[in-house]
Amino acid sequence: MLSRVAENLYWMTRYMERAEDTARLINAVTLMTLDMPGGASFGWEPLVRIAGLDQLFFEHYPEADETAVMRFLIQDERNPSSIMTCITQARENTRTFREVLPWESWEWVNELYLYAKRELSGELDRSRRYEVLQAIIRHRQGIVGLLSGTMSRDAAFQFLRIGRNIERADMTSRILDISHAVILPADTPVGEQYGDLLWMNILKALSAYQMYRRHIGVHAKSAQVIDFLLKDALFPRTVLHCLTEIEEVLKVLPRSMPVLDTVRATRAMLGTADGAVLAKAGLHELIDRIQIGLDSINAALRERYFRLPDIRSPSFESAES
Amino acid sequence: MTIACEDYRVDNTFDELMTSDGQPRPLARGLCDFISELGEQELSKRVAAVNAAIMASGITFTVYTEAGNIDRAWPFDVIPRIIDGREWARVESGLKQRLAALNLFISDIYNEQNIVRDGVFPFEVLQDSKNFRSACIGAMPRFGVWAHICGTDLVRHSDGEFYVLEDNLRVPSGVSYMLENRQLMKRLFPEVFGSYRIQPVDDYTAQLYDTLAALSPRPEQRPIIAVLTPGIFNSAYFEHSYLAQQMGAELVEGADLTVLADDCVYMKTIDGLQRVDVIYRRIDDDFIDPEVFRPDSCLGVPGLMRAWRAGNVGLANAPGSGVADDKVVYAFVPQMIEYYLGEEAILPNVPSYLCMYDKDRDYVLANLDKLVVKPANESGGYGMLIGPQSTSAERAKFAELIRANPRNYMAQPTLSLSTAPTLCEEGLAPRHLDLRPFVLQSSQLYVTAGGLTRVALRKGSLVVNSSQGGGSKDTWIVQGVQ
Repeated sequence: MLSRVAENLYWMTRYMERAEDTARLINAVTLMTLDMPGGASFGWEPLVRIAGLDQLFFEHYPEADETAVMRFLIQDERNPSSIMTCITQARENTRTFREVLPWESWEWVNELYLYAKRELSGELDRSRRYEVLQAIIRHRQGIVGLLSGTMSRDAAFQFLRIGRNIERADMTSRILDISHAVILPADTPVGEQYGDLLWMNILKALSAYQMYRRHIGVHAKSAQVIDFLLKDALFPRTVLHCLTEIEEVLKVLPRSMPVLDTVRATRAMLGTADGAVLAKAGLHELIDRIQIGLDSINAALRERYFRLPDIRSPSFESAES
Repeated sequence: MTIACEDYRVDNTFDELMTSDGQPRPLARGLCDFISELGEQELSKRVAAVNAAIMASGITFTVYTEAGNIDRAWPFDVIPRIIDGREWARVESGLKQRLAALNLFISDIYNEQNIVRDGVFPFEVLQDSKNFRSACIGAMPRFGVWAHICGTDLVRHSDGEFYVLEDNLRVPSGVSYMLENRQLMKRLFPEVFGSYRIQPVDDYTAQLYDTLAALSPRPEQRPIIAVLTPGIFNSAYFEHSYLAQQMGAELVEGADLTVLADDCVYMKTIDGLQRVDVIYRRIDDDFIDPEVFRPDSCLGVPGLMRAWRAGNVGLANAPGSGVADDKVVYAFVPQMIEYYLGEEAILPNVPSYLCMYDKDRDYVLANLDKLVVKPANESGGYGMLIGPQSTSAERAKFAELIRANPRNYMAQPTLSLSTAPTLCEEGLAPRHLDLRPFVLQSSQLYVTAGGLTRVALRKGSLVVNSSQGGGSKDTWIVQGVQ
């Protein structure tokens, strides 16, 4: 597999996953705001901040109200992580490796692009927004299913898997941080009741609520939700699960030792994490450290597989013999 | 809009499907009946479905001038062109004969130059050839074949005969559209395929694979084949990707390849470097190796020529093949066929006037309003003068160009390209066509069943190039009606 193609595959799924996860996040948050009690306020601005885009946002918008934040996260092509930009990028990437994917993949990616281009062009009110984003999620899930059902488990597939899981781990950890977005009236029964509501919606934003209920319990308590989303071994969007998936892939890829080290170091951060403690303090700091760990995995992948090696250096040539 | 065959008017050109008295030709009758039975409404419905499929599948080509919007949907006309299988058999032999002679010519030119010594081919033409590569002198690729993939443009004149318009020996494109058009046609009119015996076209990619695999310097193992593309901004990128996918080959860009001190070509992979045996390059000679050709090229691979000359990599088409892809050299192909094969050319050339000869030049300058003037080395229909449609200012400009550089110009009578019914806004109307069959040669010769029919979608236009408002049709080679 060509280094250039491996990198494009990796970024293609990262963009796709980011588009889908952003769509899930927006839909969950929208539903959550409808349930907010009087006296509680929801800040739209943290949505931009958890995505790490606050600086860029305020370069283009004076105020973080719902309309501006939604436009920025969904449609704005000046935002490199907006849903539209991600889909466009994923399509452009797919164009460069159509020959390594099942033939109809390009058609499906292209269809998703054409759909998004058409539906995201005008203003989106709340009800249409929900519908369009659901359709984008379904489109993307169709592509995932197509690839999973018709693609050999070759190197190309493995780079898709790495990209998907690193983006998911990133998104899950960021969404956990959204607990800062809601400011509840302090020390009232109302606050407690709606605290549950908040954590339930965080699970929903990751499509994790149903599985959480089945395996953990009906009540969405902060400590349990934090433990679940960080460390559950069975749910496919938890940070632990994503890192384990990446590790599995790296075991079959050639020359993967330095990358494996970064994955294991990041996973070690989860070992000592305790939801009960983090619910009171330290969650934000832990998430920051996990983000740094994910960055180091990304850097190791680039160094190992994507960077076009300086082939005239003797060290690279001797590595081949 | 009308789709009734009775309303279709043929002017004094040859029409592929209809006779001059408005009757379908025998092989077209089934198709015409089918379309009128289908009715306008159903036809429109199917056309809309096919256009949607073209959009969704992203069968596109790129127009250089449209910055920011890098692809446009491929304009496909739903009415196929039908050619009798018996007639095609003759065309096929003519195409094979032609490519065999051209390859003998290229080998000769870079080696003994017997054809020059024997006075059959003038030295001056060679001397001024823009596509003669001195870096290829003395080289002899496997099988003595240089141009492995050739796209030969044919036109049918009002006398009903096919003439060869030009041989594209550098990086001919369009074959993916030929293949896709057939897929679209099967979706569009599946019923008609039951009543016609249409030769399939889709073995092309397997044939291309075999042609390329035969060039491998390591025949004992499954060859590693790469398609070398300039990248996604190239107008034919869709095709490069398509062919790589269909052959199970790697699609590579120049930066993915490197030539080491052992004069072998390697590609950069996640496992490290992997040797490449055959490269189907879709980059012009000028850009393939900055060590030998244009030093500013970043599309190519430094050292590629070294590797090729050492016999460590197969290159298709071989560098230097373009020497025979020259509109002046073209005029000598019938003589080449006689000289190398001792045969008479099966397919005629269009009569050509070479401006390098005083007598021809005088004639051309006196008849610019009647002739098509072509520069020797341009492709894609650029830099041409179409006499009957030109202004006097354009003719004056061309007269000047010809006088300044007579070797670089040739002229031909304006042919009346044949037409075929084409679905236009007003219904079925005649539009002009040409035909580009693809011919392969390494250990064997192969010709596609038909080829890419290109159609000038603008009324009266003779320019079929996709970059200039052309579209395409499916081409059926039919073995009689059942």
